Amino acid sequence: MIYKTSIFKIAVSVICVSLFSAATIAEETASPATNAPVAVFTLTTKSPEARRLVEEALDLYLDKVEQEQANEILRKAVQVDPDFAMGHEFLAQISLDSAEQVSEQGKAFATKNHATNSEQLVIEWYQDAGDHKLISAITKMNDVVNQYPHDKWVVWMTTWWLFNQSQFERASAIYEHSGITDSPGLINNMGYNYAAMRQFDKAFAMMDKYVALLPNDSNPQDSYAEILRMAGRFNQSIEHYRASLVINPEFYSSQFGIADTYSLMGDQVQARKEYEIGFKKFTLPELQQILWKTREATTYVREGDYEGAEHAFQSIADYAHTRHNSQAEADTYRQMAMCEQNPKQALAYLDKAEAAAQEGNNALKIALTQELAQILRARVEVALKMGNKQMANSTLARLDNMAESSNDRLSELAYHGAAGEVLFSERNYDQAISHLEEDNNNPFSLKLLASAYQKIGYSAGAKRTNETLTNLNDPTLEQALVVPAFRKCSDTPSSCTTNTKSAALKR
Amino acid sequence: MWVAIVPCAAQAKQFAIVADKANSVSNLTASELVKIFTAHKQNWPDGKAITIVMRDPSSADMQLVLRKLMNMTAEQAHAFVLAHRDVIMVADTDDAVLRFVSTSPGAIGVVDLYSLTQDVSVVKIDGKLPVEQGYFLRGN
Repeated sequence: MIYKTSIFKIAVSVICVSLFSAATIAEETASPATNAPVAVFTLTTKSPEARRLVEEALDLYLDKVEQEQANEILRKAVQVDPDFAMGHEFLAQISLDSAEQVSEQGKAFATKNHATNSEQLVIEWYQDAGDHKLISAITKMNDVVNQYPHDKWVVWMTTWWLFNQSQFERASAIYEHSGITDSPGLINNMGYNYAAMRQFDKAFAMMDKYVALLPNDSNPQDSYAEILRMAGRFNQSIEHYRASLVINPEFYSSQFGIADTYSLMGDQVQARKEYEIGFKKFTLPELQQILWKTREATTYVREGDYEGAEHAFQSIADYAHTRHNSQAEADTYRQMAMCEQNPKQALAYLDKAEAAAQEGNNALKIALTQELAQILRARVEVALKMGNKQMANSTLARLDNMAESSNDRLSELAYHGAAGEVLFSERNYDQAISHLEEDNNNPFSLKLLASAYQKIGYSAGAKRTNETLTNLNDPTLEQALVVPAFRKCSDTPSSCTTNTKSAALKR
Repeated sequence: MWVAIVPCAAQAKQFAIVADKANSVSNLTASELVKIFTAHKQNWPDGKAITIVMRDPSSADMQLVLRKLMNMTAEQAHAFVLAHRDVIMVADTDDAVLRFVSTSPGAIGVVDLYSLTQDVSVVKIDGKLPVEQGYFLRGN
């Protein structure tokens, strides 16, 4: 059994205060103090060596951002003790390989009887989440965090899971209640969490702490830069990216971060210069190479140079094809379709995308399913543009079946986005809203959602959604296709298309 | 550097209606729920008094509840709660709502879905749980 050494006081008291003169109930308070025992989440293994390895891996992963190395060590730990249920669970959560994630989750579940009740709760929580038993997963997560509100690993597991569920408020409440202030990794995560809530003062305060804790590391500067960029503070963002490169000139994500930032600022020429510096200087893993080549191609979209964009994207598709990377090839053709003004040509690109996805070379099945869902979503959009309701509905039905059978959240989101778009086109705004709200990380869905809220007279929702969309500084193709035009429409109404107009004019 | 896609907007909010575990009511219609939260219905079928517990309905986080369960402006909700302090309790946090509901027979609460614990029962609305498509208390 492991007993961690950090010590906090758990003070549980109910204080009644008068919020306004109605009856009120105040929250339990937790005031960290020294010399009081803290409930610690224990890891059960018959092997002290396996336990040591897991602790080392978790520290590497969370506080030193060494995910690959952490995974290697976790793999060793579960070799040393194959019945180490939480070892399997951590590997399932941290692994970058989705096949490994699935198999390790299965092993964690199969070996959970070797673990304590609390460890079993954690494993069941993740299992339930994977099985789409969300209410059961949530109650188990809360039961664990209520038992161990100050344990670093429990706080990490819960806040990270909630972040990925876009439950930022709940994640920040758990973090703030934890009283943990000495974990660089948690501080980094929470910086992003506050940024996602657009509470940038708190996000920057987290970044100041992160930089202070690791002054000689690049990642704090890189994170700071990314959060400044999310806030639209582009010049300061670039300063922090450059500071990151001064600390470690090999920290390539900062070089590409500079390029992405120039692109969002509207300086596409400088952005392309910065991408080129990165491509010349660094030997990148294949997927990273494709990612930033895609961002570089997006600079042409931001300039309105669709011919340049087509040429750049075609080069990426050809590269992905020669590398037998079917998903990247499919995704690139899908993006070409999204940029294409001619619906017939867009459909031709989507045919190529679907053919590449069907080839399925060097890609996980789930990744191909997700890609196919995105392709079908794009096909629905093109069909609606063509006024071809039959194609839109039949493609939507296909997407619905796929989302239903795949048990995959991203495929479901693609379905909701497409369904919302079809219903919006039918002026069925109430039902469109229920779908679009599910997909509200997507700029296309956000734009329609704002418009649909306005149509039903829900001005507060429309205003909030407009603000979210207007302030979206994300260097993706979707942002490039939606947000700049939306902002321009807000400033110059004569430039609006119909949908953009109805969403943006009534801010 | 971040190791995952950073979500850019909060998901649609989902609120759960919760009751103490001894409460035999497992489903309410949306209109019954509105009657309860506007104090038009003050007793359960077994005659037990209903106590409502919720976070300040005039706060920004509770807009959906305000809109769908009370159909009031924030100012109206504030005044309404003051006028019905015998049946409406206001809590600072979801945890406090859950604690009160779990220990108070006849209490009904509304909490964010992601605050749920095993100490309370989730009441369906129109036969649907919070995660199901078309659930009443879901939205922005």
